[in-house]
Amino acid sequence: MTTLCDQMRRGFDVLIRRCNVPSFLMNVPSTWQNLVAQNLYADELKRLGRFLVRLGGESPTLDSLAEVMLEYEAARQAIRASRAYLSARQYAEAIAALGQEGPSLGGKIENRKSKIEIAPRVPLAIIGGPLMRPDFDIYDVVEQSGGRIVLDATETGERGMCGPFDRRRVREDPLAELANAYFGGIRDASRRPNSELYGWLAHELAARAVRGIIFRRYVWCDTWHAELQQMKESTELPVLDIDVAGDAETERQRWQNRIRAFLETLK
Amino acid sequence: MRDGPEQITLRQWDQRYQQLQKAGIDQPSYGGPLSRHIEDGDTRLLKLRYDNSAAALRLWNFLLTEEDRLHEARDRGKKIVGTMKDLGTVPVMAYSLDNVVAFYPDGAWWIPCVMELNAGLLSIADSLGIDESFCPVRAMLGAFVTGAHFPIPELLICSVGATCDDFSAIAQRLNSLGYPMLWWEIPHRRAPEPGEESVKLPGGFSAPRCQVEFVKSELQRVRKALEEFAGQCLSDEKLSAGIKKANQVRRLLAQLRRLVFTAGLCPMPALEMLIAEMLAIHFCSDRDETITVVKELLDEGKKRIKAGTGLLGADAARIFWVNPVADLQVMNLLEDCGGRICGTEYMFTHALDAIPQDLPPMDALARMALADPMVGSSADRASRICAEIRRFDAEAVVISRIPGASHCVLEGQIIGEIVQAEFDVPVLEIEVPSLTDSIAQALRTRLEALVETVRERRKR
Repeated sequence: MTTLCDQMRRGFDVLIRRCNVPSFLMNVPSTWQNLVAQNLYADELKRLGRFLVRLGGESPTLDSLAEVMLEYEAARQAIRASRAYLSARQYAEAIAALGQEGPSLGGKIENRKSKIEIAPRVPLAIIGGPLMRPDFDIYDVVEQSGGRIVLDATETGERGMCGPFDRRRVREDPLAELANAYFGGIRDASRRPNSELYGWLAHELAARAVRGIIFRRYVWCDTWHAELQQMKESTELPVLDIDVAGDAETERQRWQNRIRAFLETLK
Repeated sequence: MRDGPEQITLRQWDQRYQQLQKAGIDQPSYGGPLSRHIEDGDTRLLKLRYDNSAAALRLWNFLLTEEDRLHEARDRGKKIVGTMKDLGTVPVMAYSLDNVVAFYPDGAWWIPCVMELNAGLLSIADSLGIDESFCPVRAMLGAFVTGAHFPIPELLICSVGATCDDFSAIAQRLNSLGYPMLWWEIPHRRAPEPGEESVKLPGGFSAPRCQVEFVKSELQRVRKALEEFAGQCLSDEKLSAGIKKANQVRRLLAQLRRLVFTAGLCPMPALEMLIAEMLAIHFCSDRDETITVVKELLDEGKKRIKAGTGLLGADAARIFWVNPVADLQVMNLLEDCGGRICGTEYMFTHALDAIPQDLPPMDALARMALADPMVGSSADRASRICAEIRRFDAEAVVISRIPGASHCVLEGQIIGEIVQAEFDVPVLEIEVPSLTDSIAQALRTRLEALVETVRERRKR
């Protein structure tokens, strides 16, 4: 787990009291404008490495680390390149599969060569924290309602993928490049200041001609909740706020209906 | 009107004030009858009960005139810095400069209580997208927007990282409204791992040396910003002198807490003690006066103990209180229910511990910042609470949740479990909003039940 929010920090406190599974709490800085913050992140990666070694893992050579990084990079590039050929759900599933199954997924993605045929739909962005697998239904609901997610800025979507690696730096100092691409390449609401997130969003929303935003947040997540108003003010796009607390069917009905109504107003 | 220790209303304080004046009470420049603060809109004061000592009068007047003091400081050419969230570290640095005054805009979280929501600060926060699902510290947003509660600081310095999500989010919202912010990182304090050098922190926690070094480097950034802001060098000598002075306040408060929490008969009520402890974090914008105010409280406490007088009765249940209350009246309520405070953890114990004076000052300040009970695990916090329960012989614990505060969701449960496992004392978890009037009866019932339980257990 990481220290990115209070809930996770306190959740970790509960976890280590309730079970004996070896656990690691990784310190992820909120600030990012100083090199010391990135150095702290890199040190935490090393500490995580030592933790994994203590559990029986083997410390990789720099060359083997670089190889794995480049494999992941290739897979990410393949996923990004396939965006136009995949439905929003397939795209999200591909990103999730990379996280769960590793970079061997890349080849499967590359086999897709033809753009998916879609009727004219309202281009939307989905922005917020992570989606669980069962939550992926939201992509289907959007499509069934006449929209299409063209920017997946959830934590588990495109926004959560790290920045591109510099191949030369990967060879020279893979760990430093790993820290740079992840710490420097993921724009999150927890960052202080959060200006990177809004800079990235402004660029992507314009580039993809987004006409509306589905802002999906967990009711207990103050970090994203507090962004809602600023999101409305800075993007000047219609924003649908969907707060979720669990997987209850009534909740699902509610957000389905709201997405349909939202898209009706945008058509 | 009696001369002995008593808790009195604001109206009774008017008579008491006359009495003290006739007796030739020595008043500071900000002195005067307490009831005049009602004119500022502080209507909650009408519903509180206060200690009747001259020391308490000075304390309350000192607290309630802070806004004037800040304006006067600005008029005298002093620079005002708003320090946020770290609760105690950055002000020690700021007050080491002779032309800077520091205060916590966070303190605005009590405005909805003190002004009984009449200031409209929470409505402003609502309109900015920060609704009641956030901690009452959201009132700070309204205070900035209206500019009616404190002078807007020229520099804002906010700690983030292992801080509560509410505050970080609210500070970010403030930043997005155009208030520039210097963010500095306080990492989550962790235990040293095998092979890592361990550093002892004030208050007893430990941290790896690398974390202390990291915080030191962050505080160096703060130091540089303060130097640029003040236009003067913040040398090690100045910092050491500032630490020495801060320790003077901390030592006095330590004496006061020990005196009050261990006395057979309570010599100073909970409300005044809460306010006194709060002085440690930024000295209520006047460090020297803070020393005088706390000294007077200490002298009053000693005098009462020597005279064998006090408040609340010898059988009052000895309660350890966790977290500050959003509604000050709840401190009175506990005493009405037969309890007294014997130990507190108001989220800033690191501002009460002495800062090491035998270390280079930046090293000492980094250790102090890392000793913050809120930046470590809930188990760490609970261990400190347990040590204090033992020290002050508390018979029960009240964990007072802050509505909407992200850390309160889970930590109370963990603290409660650890405390009960160690002491087998009753633990009560309550939630205290900014105004408790609508739930006062329910709160009373729960606190009375706790006190009753304590008294029953004494018969075992």
